[in-house]
Amino acid sequence: MAGSLIKLEEVTVSSSTASVTLGDSDWDSSYDVYMVQYSNVVPVTDNQEVRMRFTEGGTPNTSANYDYAYKIIETLAAGFEVFPATNQTYFRGVRYGNNTGEAGNATLYLFNMNSTTEYAFYTLEENAYINGAATIAGCTGGGVLTVTGTARDGIEFSFPSGNIDSGTFTLYGLKK
Amino acid sequence: MATIEELTASAQTAIDALKTANGGDGMFAQVNNERREFTEAEYDQAVVDKANSDFDLQENGYKQARQEAYKSLPEQLDMMYWDGVNDTTLWADHIAEVKEDNPKPE
Repeated sequence: MAGSLIKLEEVTVSSSTASVTLGDSDWDSSYDVYMVQYSNVVPVTDNQEVRMRFTEGGTPNTSANYDYAYKIIETLAAGFEVFPATNQTYFRGVRYGNNTGEAGNATLYLFNMNSTTEYAFYTLEENAYINGAATIAGCTGGGVLTVTGTARDGIEFSFPSGNIDSGTFTLYGLKK
Repeated sequence: MATIEELTASAQTAIDALKTANGGDGMFAQVNNERREFTEAEYDQAVVDKANSDFDLQENGYKQARQEAYKSLPEQLDMMYWDGVNDTTLWADHIAEVKEDNPKPE
């Protein structure tokens, strides 16, 4: 259906920054499902994975209530890695670095963000090129923030160490 | 092996040094498409995050390193087959090498 994907916010990192938040004042709570894309996201520091937290009232929820599970299919010798974890303080993606050409690209769908009575979920599809290991990694998985009581109004991105050097982050609402 | 308290102290020192008020380059957030320096609460959270991340890497980093170092399952099955045929220890040697190269913290 034409016109079903409504762009709410786009952030391009041009000066390195520790975190990027989509939503907050640009959050439109009239949607049931949101889509987030990030592309060409590069860390300043080597060997980092994108970390994500939902925001509530513009502030990231930092509680240890993030559960996630995902699988990475990759051209490393082992072929795949699995990452199930519960009671974390963030969601995470593929680990990659800052060598030439290395970058992460992903599409996320966010569910139940505006509900105060249901857990908020996300699904993730990410690919990352890891030049140092000559690896392309494809990741698929999802997660849930197991708390209720407060509606979520955005998502924060960061790396565990060091800044985001560059990248574009876009938030869309899926029109009903 | 560092304790979480020791790693928190190290993280506090490292994050404090980053603050522009202390002559550092600062940590910045991009919110509502505006880039601004972290608030004190965000700097405090950065200390907690760094300490937890460093602790997790110390305790569990070997798991991911091993996952990445093991040969593929078809290759490991092939090793086992030839070990049976030739009475060799290719597979056990490979597993032992990966474990030795990526030791579990004591």
